[in-house]
Amino acid sequence: MNELDWTSIPGALPILGHGMLVTLQITATAIVVGILWGTLLALARLSGLRPLAWLAAGYVNLFRAVPLVMVILWFYLIVPALLKDWLGVAQGADIRMVSALVAFALFESAYYAEIIRAGIQSVPKGQVSAAYALGMPYGLTMRLVVLPQAFRNMLPLLLTQAIILFQDTSLVYVIGLADFFGSAYKVGDRDGRLVELLLFAGAVYFVLCFGASLLVRQLQKRFAT
Amino acid sequence: MSMIRIEQVSKWYGSFQVLAECSTQVNKGEVVVVCGPSGSGKSTLIRCVNGLEGIQQGTIVVNGIALADPKTNLSKLRSHVGMVFQNFELFPHMSVTDNLTIGQIKVLGRPREEALARGLKMLERVGLKAQADKYPHALSGGQQQRVAIARALAMDPICMLFDEPTSALDPEMVNEVLDVMVELATEGMTMMCVTHEMGFARKVADRVIFMDHGRIVEDAAKDEFFGTPRAERAQVFLSKILQH
Repeated sequence: MNELDWTSIPGALPILGHGMLVTLQITATAIVVGILWGTLLALARLSGLRPLAWLAAGYVNLFRAVPLVMVILWFYLIVPALLKDWLGVAQGADIRMVSALVAFALFESAYYAEIIRAGIQSVPKGQVSAAYALGMPYGLTMRLVVLPQAFRNMLPLLLTQAIILFQDTSLVYVIGLADFFGSAYKVGDRDGRLVELLLFAGAVYFVLCFGASLLVRQLQKRFAT
Repeated sequence: MSMIRIEQVSKWYGSFQVLAECSTQVNKGEVVVVCGPSGSGKSTLIRCVNGLEGIQQGTIVVNGIALADPKTNLSKLRSHVGMVFQNFELFPHMSVTDNLTIGQIKVLGRPREEALARGLKMLERVGLKAQADKYPHALSGGQQQRVAIARALAMDPICMLFDEPTSALDPEMVNEVLDVMVELATEGMTMMCVTHEMGFARKVADRVIFMDHGRIVEDAAKDEFFGTPRAERAQVFLSKILQH
């Protein structure tokens, strides 16, 4: 390797753009499902119902104790069988994207559950008493009083987790899914310009993530009242 | 007719007994002040009255409905019992108006317009109509507590529970809250108030209950209580807080 040659990048932009779309799709799905499912897990864990709390704790601890790469591979191997059995999807269909979405959503839920649990616990108990005293049942109390305050308190943490998640999506290379990183790798490999492509991809990740983290800091300042 | 009946109520936190065989009642239209040293169980007792805390023994009956009865809809019962807390507990993410209307709309099912009218009327009653669009953090402690009282009143409660409503307030704000409470009392609201404000008790209480170590050691008509408290512990307590 003598000199860096960036000429193969402009032509590769459509492929890289498509890869970025895959990356963003996985990130967005994992955030949305992760927060919804994570909220339910957090509520289950905080509920007085022992079996429910144990199940939720087991789920969270399991996913937090295994490497993400392994989870992605597991689901890649499991999901085809499930799809075939339950939905009758023909064998041989490309299930890489589906399995990646499922893996990330379920994995991130465990992390979101812990953030949300801490957020819920940051709301003073007196707020719950006040809601109960107005006659609100548990569900209304959570929805109208506790969760809005909890989410506001934990917004910076949720966004930080989203940034980590955005970077972690690159791990889908293990199942050969062409996300942004995967596309860059493929183009670089094809053109014999791996170093340039990976440097370029790294720069894009850096700009997006660092920019987002600056935004989070800004937000934190605004909310720290 | 008794609005609140407490019979032989005992409660433990683990092996520590916080309430021991407490029995008393609050009749309709009556104002009962509960006092006693800190840790005597008075706040716990009033929280038990609307089921915010459970009890292990005894019975509590509010408006003829037993709290422990499995058929009792605790949320529905609470919606008719106003409660005011030491730390106000307004919802900080809602404006004063939303604080006043949310219970009416979501719990009582009132139309928004009606809830708003009712809420503003109560806000006017506590003298804070101008603050309707503000958020709780923009109000002083005394104002927040008055909004909290208005929030409870907007639900048209059959009785009101006050859990040390003035103990978290700066001294100059105590009176604005007590004035509202005195007005309520003179209008005939049934009230159970945990408070150290003996001036308030002298002015409007019908009965005073003195608690110590989880027990009700004195339960007497106001004049009798301030004249000649029978329990020695109550005498010591009164002499301490009435000195200044």
